[in-house]
Amino acid sequence: MMLAWIRALPARVRSWWSAGGVDQEFARELESHLAMLVEENVRRGMGTQEAERAARVRLGNQTQLRETNRELRGLPLLDEFLQDVRYGCRALRRNPGFALVAVLTLALGVGANTAIFSAVDAVLLKPLPYPHPDQLFFVFQQRERDAKVQAGWSWQNFLDLRDQNHAFSAMDASSRHELTVTGHGDPAVVTVTSVTPGIFSLLGARPLAGRLFLPGDGKPGAPATVILSESLWHGLFQSDPQILGTTIRLERRPFTVVGILPQSFRSTAQPRTNQLWIPLAQDPLFGSWMPNRDGHWLGVVGRLKPGVSLARAQADLNAISARLAREFPGENEGWLIRMAPLQEVIVGDVRPGLLMLWCAVGVILLIACVNIASLLLARASTRSREMAVRSTLGAGRGRIVRQLLAESVVLGLLGGLAGVALAYWGVHALGSLLSENLPQLNVARVDSAVLGFALALSLFAAFAFGLAPSFFAARWGLESRLREGNPRAGDTAASRHVRRALASAETALAVILLVAAGLLLRSYAGMAAMNTGFTPESVVKANFSLYSARYSGPQQWLEFTDALLVRLHGQPGLQDSALVVPTPIADVRLNVVFDIVGSPALAAGSSRTADYVAISPGYFHVMGIPLVAGRQFDQRDVMSAPRVTLVSQSLAREYFPRENPIGRQLSFAFGRESAVPRRIVGIVGDVRDVAPGVEPGPMVYVPLAQSPFPGADVVVRSPLETSAVVAALRHEIGGMDSELAVSDVSELPEAVQSSLAGPKFRTLLLALFAALALLLAATGIFGVVSYSVSRRTQEIGIRIALGATRTTILRMVMGETLGMTLAGLALGVPCALVGSRLMRHMLFGVSANDPATLAAVALTLVATALLAGYVPVRRAMRVDPLHALRHE
Amino acid sequence: MDRHPARADVLQGTLDLMVLKTLDAMGPLHGYGIARRIEQISEQALQLNQGTIYASLVRLMQKRWITGAWGTSDNNRKAKFYSITEAGRRRLHLETENWKRIAGVIGRVLRAEERG
Repeated sequence: MMLAWIRALPARVRSWWSAGGVDQEFARELESHLAMLVEENVRRGMGTQEAERAARVRLGNQTQLRETNRELRGLPLLDEFLQDVRYGCRALRRNPGFALVAVLTLALGVGANTAIFSAVDAVLLKPLPYPHPDQLFFVFQQRERDAKVQAGWSWQNFLDLRDQNHAFSAMDASSRHELTVTGHGDPAVVTVTSVTPGIFSLLGARPLAGRLFLPGDGKPGAPATVILSESLWHGLFQSDPQILGTTIRLERRPFTVVGILPQSFRSTAQPRTNQLWIPLAQDPLFGSWMPNRDGHWLGVVGRLKPGVSLARAQADLNAISARLAREFPGENEGWLIRMAPLQEVIVGDVRPGLLMLWCAVGVILLIACVNIASLLLARASTRSREMAVRSTLGAGRGRIVRQLLAESVVLGLLGGLAGVALAYWGVHALGSLLSENLPQLNVARVDSAVLGFALALSLFAAFAFGLAPSFFAARWGLESRLREGNPRAGDTAASRHVRRALASAETALAVILLVAAGLLLRSYAGMAAMNTGFTPESVVKANFSLYSARYSGPQQWLEFTDALLVRLHGQPGLQDSALVVPTPIADVRLNVVFDIVGSPALAAGSSRTADYVAISPGYFHVMGIPLVAGRQFDQRDVMSAPRVTLVSQSLAREYFPRENPIGRQLSFAFGRESAVPRRIVGIVGDVRDVAPGVEPGPMVYVPLAQSPFPGADVVVRSPLETSAVVAALRHEIGGMDSELAVSDVSELPEAVQSSLAGPKFRTLLLALFAALALLLAATGIFGVVSYSVSRRTQEIGIRIALGATRTTILRMVMGETLGMTLAGLALGVPCALVGSRLMRHMLFGVSANDPATLAAVALTLVATALLAGYVPVRRAMRVDPLHALRHE
Repeated sequence: MDRHPARADVLQGTLDLMVLKTLDAMGPLHGYGIARRIEQISEQALQLNQGTIYASLVRLMQKRWITGAWGTSDNNRKAKFYSITEAGRRRLHLETENWKRIAGVIGRVLRAEERG
C-alpha cells in the first residue's frame, strides 16, 4: 500500500502542481461521459429531462467523484496544510501588533544564531581548504617536563624526522619572519615564509601565474627564487604583467620571481597581505642556521599516510625522539615529539570562546521561543471561541493542532527570513572583528550551509513555540464554551500558570547570560587594569632589521646600533630612547633554557626556563621598570667586559629563594655565546610580557652589546606626537642607510590593548547578547503582567469599590511581577553557576561564583522587572471602578 | 507489500483488472465506452455507478499501466481515450495467470467440499 502510494508520488506531485487544470479536465471528462449516457438514454426512447436524470444516476454523485479524484491524484495533507498556512497568514494580518512583536523577537534569535553559526562553521566545522585536510598534522617538539612548552624544529632535526619516520607520506617545514624589499619605491616590509619546496603540493596550491617551487629550488647554492602573493603583486608591483623572470631585492639580495600564488590560496600566516615565499635555503636570516641542530625555528606539517592510525604514527615519532635524544643529547634530551591535527592547531584557543558564544545565542533563541509561546498562549485564550466553533463544525483535535502549528510555521518562516537578513548584516559587521580575532582559513559568510541551519532553526523554533498553545487550544476546543458570551472563556487558571512559568523560565535563561557576561566584564576590567609591570603610556616602538649583505656579523650590527643610539640621544624628543629585543607584549617572547653555575644539575628531562630580553642601557628608564636591587647596565658592559645579566623578581624568588642572587652566574642555552657564564648584577621588577592577563614568569635581561642581534625594536618615551616620533625615527635610520625600512610601528598602550582583543571581543558580544536576553525577558514579564491586568480590570474595579487602596492594588500587581522574577532568579542562579564553572578558564581575577556579580545581576533583574511592570501597574491603579463595573 | 489487503482493495483490484482487460481487448476507449463494455460483458450482472471507473483509471494511470489522450468519438464528441501500455499488458498477463490459479484452487476446494 505505502509503497504503491510512494511510487505514485511523482504523478501526484505533478498533478497537485497543476491542480486547477487537472480538476477542469476531469470535469470535462465527466461532462462528456454524461452526454454519452444522455444520448444512449434518448436512443432508448426517453424524454430529454428523463434521459438527463437517469444519466446522472448512472454516473453517480459528481461532486463526490471529483473529490475522490482529487484525493487520489493529489496530496490532500499538503492541500490542507496550505489552506492552514493561508488561514494563518490571514489571522496574523488581523493582529499585526502581535505578528510584528513575534517576528521581531524571532528574528533577533535566529539572526544572532545564524551570524554566530557562520563563524562557528567557518572556524570549527568547515574542513581546512586543503586536499584531504584530515590527513594534515602539525608535528612539534614538546618539553617532557612541561607540556606547555611546545616548539618547532632545527633544520638538522627536521631532516632526521622527515627521513626516519614511516607514518607520513610527506613532511614540509616553514618559517615566517619579515624582510625588507628594496628597489620599488620606499623600502617595504613584507611577510616572508621560507619553505621547503614540497609544501605547496602538500597543501594543494596551484599558481596563478608561473610555477611553484621545484625540488631543485631548495638545494643550497641554487639560484635564489621567490613566489609572490597575488595581493603583493597587485600592490607593491602594481600588477606588472612582466614580473615573472625579473628580479626583486630582498635584504639587498636579488631573487628571481618564478610564480604568483592566487588570493584563493589560504596560507596559515597572519596577516594575509604582503606575503611572499622563498626557499628555506635562500633565507637571508635563517639560511645560515641550517647546519645547526639547536634552535626551534621551523614549523613542520606532515601528511599522514592513509590507513596509518594515530597510535602507530605517535609510536613512530616516539622512536625517533628516543633516537635523537640518544644521538644528540645536548639538543634533544628532555624533548618529546608530538602531533596535533592542523585544524586544531590553527583554531587554537578560539574554540572555547566561540562555543561559549554559540551557547549564548542558543539561550537567546530559547528565550525568544518562550516569549512567543507565551504570546501565542495569551492569544489562544482569546481565540478559544473560534476554536470551539471550529470543533463544533467538525474539526478534529488533530486538525486544530495542525492548523495552529501551520500558523506557527508561518511565524517561524517570517521570523527566520527577517533573521537571515539580520544575520547578513551581522556577519558583515562581525566580519572585520572576526578576521582580526579568529584564525579563519575559511571566510565566515552566509552560505547554503548557514541558510540551511537558519531554516532548520526557524522550523524548530516554530514547533517549539507552537506546540504548547496548540496543546491547550485543542483541550479547550473540546469543551464547548460557545454558550458563554464570556471573552475570558479560555483564560483558564492553567494557562495563566503556564504563562507565569514561561516568564520565569525566560528570566532564568536571562540570568545565565547575565551572570556569564558579568563575570567576563569583571575579568576584562581586571585584565585591563592589571599592572603590566611597565608603563606603556606615551611609549612608541618601531622595528628595524639589518640585511646581511651589508651587516654581515655581530661587529657590524654593534657598530650600527651604537651609532644609532648616539644619533637618537642627540635628537630633541628622542633622548629617552632605548633598543630592545623583543618588546614585551608587542613581540613574541623568547623563552630560553638556562643553568645556574655552581648548582647541582637538574634531574634528566627537567629544565629551567626564562624569557630572554636583550636591551641597551636606559631601557628600564624608558619603560618605567623599577630596579629592585644591584645596578643597571651601563656603557661599560660591552663585548670586551665581563658578561653580565639582570634577573626579574620572580626568577630570584623561584630559583634563589633563600639567598641573594647578585653575584651568582647564569648560562643560557641560546645565541652565539651559549653556555658562557653571566654574572647577575641586579634584580628588576616583574613584567607581564605575554599579555596583561598572563602571570609574569622568570625573566633575564642581557646587554644588547653583549648579545648582538641583526636588528631591534626602538622604544621611545616622548612628549611628541606618535607621527612626529616615527618621522624622526625614519629620518635618523634612513639617514644612516636609505635601504633600511622602519616597520612594526605601534604605540605601546595600543599594543597592550590589542593583546586583550580576544577577551574584549567575546566579552563585548556576550554583553550584547545578555542585554538582548534581558530585553526579551523584560518583554515577556511586561506581556504577562499587562495581560493579567487587562483581564482583571473588573476585579480591580470591584476591589477599589469595596475600599481597597491604591497601595493594595500596587502590591497585588507588583507582587505578581516580583514573584515571577524571584522564581526566575531561583531557577536561573544554579544554572548560571554551572555555566560559569564551565567557562572558568576564561575568567581572570574573579571566581566562578563571584557574589558581587550575582548580586549585581539580581539587582539588575529586579529593577528591569519593576520597570517592565510599571506601565501595567499604573494602568491598574488608575482603574475607574464605575467604568470597570459598567463594563460588566 | 501489504500482506492483508483490505476488502475494498480486493474489489478495487478486480475493477482495475477488468478495465485493463477491456482496454487490452478493445483498444483505445473512453470512460463511457469502458463502463458500457464491462456492463455488457458481465451481462448486466455488474451494475455499477459508471463514475466509479474513473478512480480505477486514475490508479492505473499513476502506475503507468495505461495512458490517456483527448480525441474525438464516433459521433464527433470530445472525449478522453485511454489505451493500455506495454507495462499494463505485462501486468494484465501476470494478474490473469494469478486469477486463473486462484480461481482453479478455490474451485477445486469448493468441489472437494461438495463431494465430502
